[in-house]
Parts: sequence; C-alpha cells; structure tokens
Amino acid sequence: MTKQETNIIAPTLATRRSPLYRRHLQYQAHFKQVGDNIVVDSYPNEGAINDEIEIAKSMGLCDLSTLDRTGFKGVGTPQWLASQSFKVPVLANTAEEQSSQSLLIKLSAQEILVLSDLLFLSEDVKRLYQKAVENHQSYDQQIYNLPRNDSHCWLAVTGINATELFSKLCAVDLRSHKFVQGAVAQTSLAKTNAIIIRHDLNKTPCFYILSDISGAEFLWDCLLDAMSEFHGAPVGLSALQTLASNQ
Amino acid sequence: MKLLSCPLNGLRNISEFTYGGEYHPTPDHQTTSSRDWAEHVFFHDNTAGIVIEWWCHTPSSFWFLAERNTLTDEVVRTFTPDELYTKSIIQHETKPETTP
Repeated sequence: MTKQETNIIAPTLATRRSPLYRRHLQYQAHFKQVGDNIVVDSYPNEGAINDEIEIAKSMGLCDLSTLDRTGFKGVGTPQWLASQSFKVPVLANTAEEQSSQSLLIKLSAQEILVLSDLLFLSEDVKRLYQKAVENHQSYDQQIYNLPRNDSHCWLAVTGINATELFSKLCAVDLRSHKFVQGAVAQTSLAKTNAIIIRHDLNKTPCFYILSDISGAEFLWDCLLDAMSEFHGAPVGLSALQTLASNQ
Repeated sequence: MKLLSCPLNGLRNISEFTYGGEYHPTPDHQTTSSRDWAEHVFFHDNTAGIVIEWWCHTPSSFWFLAERNTLTDEVVRTFTPDELYTKSIIQHETKPETTP
C-alpha cells in the first residue's frame, strides 16, 4: 500500500481512536487500517520507510494505543489462563511471549495483562475477552476482566539510545544489562504512573509503556521533548513491524 | 530522596508511595459494638516506637504493610497483607449460617 493510499484513511473514521490522533494529524501522519484498527503507518519524511526504520533503530516513539489489550485479576487468574493454554510467567513483573506472539504480563501474583502482537497475527486478546463475557458465570467468580483498551494508552520507545531517554525521566535503572528482555517495571515515568515492559524487536531494544489514557498527550509530549537531544522522532507502526518480522 | 522497599516492586523513591494509616486488626463485624467500630475507624494510637502502617505503591496500586519506628523513621521491614490476613473477608461473609 502506498503512502498516498494510506493517507486517505482518517483516524476519526474509526469507532475507537487513539487519544493521540490530534498529535498525529499535526504531524500529517499516514494512517492505515488493519482489521478494526486504524494505526499510524508512517510520518512524512524525506526518504522512504527505510529512514523511519533507521530512526526506530536509534530512538523512536510509536503510538500503539489502538491495538487490542486486556487484563484479568483475582484469585486463580494465572491458573485460569494456564488452563487456556497460555504460558504464564512464574514471577510477578515479568512478561512472557506466547507462541501466537501476543504478550502476557504478570503484574502481581493474581493480575495479568495481555497485549496483542504488532503484526496482528494473534486473536488472543479478542478470544480472551469473548471467553470472559461468555464464561462470566462458569469460571471462578473471583476472576474478573480488566479491559485496558480505554484505560491505558500504549506507547513504544525503541532503539539503542532508548535507555538514555529513560535515565532522564525514570528513577528505575532500565539499562539493558539491568532491565533485560521480559522485565517489567511499574513505576513513575515523567511524573506519571506507568507500566514499562522490555520487549525487544529482534535486535532492536523496545520498551512498551502503558499509562493513564487521560495523560497520553502529556506523556507523548514529554517523551518527544526528552528525546529531541538524541534526534529521536515519532515512527509509524510499519517501521516496528519491519523490525519485529526481520530475523 | 527517601527510599521504601515494596514487597512486589522492590526499592523505589518514596514519591511513588501513598501512606494509608496505622494498621489495626479488623474487628469481627458480627460481634463488635458501635463504640469499638468507631475506635477502629476514627481513632489512632499514634505510638512513639515501632508501628505497623499501611502503604500503597501507587503505580501498581499494591497495598502492603510496613513496620516503621516513628522515633527514628527507620523502616524495619515491609511485607504483604497475606501475612496477617489468612482468609478472605468475602469468604467469611458468604459462609452459610449454621442453625443452633
């Protein structure tokens, strides 16, 4: 799909739009539709998509807020998810990639967050949500669904310089040798509460950030401001998808 | 900045935490008098020395307990509530009544 074709899609046409869509419009972003989701494909720049991939490898910021995510909480949640053939992390504050490429994050002993994959290959989140609705009465009633689509924005900071950015905004040591693949920190980022998950895109470091959706524009502006000295910039989902799919 | 160790998240800046007040064992709500309930809810010991307090790690909404010396502001230890709460209050409430 060319940029001209993707730009015809407006984020306002979607049933659910990103809390950052006004920012993307300011940047004259190119949008694309994947399933029910409208995402930023790329931002206009001098070169082609390869330029954006290079930015993402160095320091990029991507809005993933329209991608599906959900959560479950309550006594027996890990066991219930394990019975649904999910690999549940043993330790709290760790993430486990599933064979379907969705990501399961254990936030505490009885709380799990589920993120869909960047390539839209997995139906895990939709399936679990449907299961939660259908089986509301049948599974242990102490387990309850925590829909995360409308409570948290979802951003990704990518690139080898990403940890330099976090050292300015976060008190937790997120350097690569301390905060390894699959590590999770629930902490304060730019004075706002956030869940930070290390989930690399092959060899490119990648940090997912989930934070209160009402503060999405604040956090987006803070991150862009902090990354300006490192020549970081917003990148579209296509760059991340390329990095995720390249072996 | 002061640091506090959360049992779930580890050592963090004190600005990530919210103080939740003194810990008091919850009275049995079936037998406690109104006076004792008022004591439990509204009155505090304000002990000078080692006390147990509720704290919340705000980014994860994780409530835990801390033993703290109010004279020296030294935190002796932090621990999860399941050390003191061995059974669910909800389970206690929904337990079928037995007839005499």
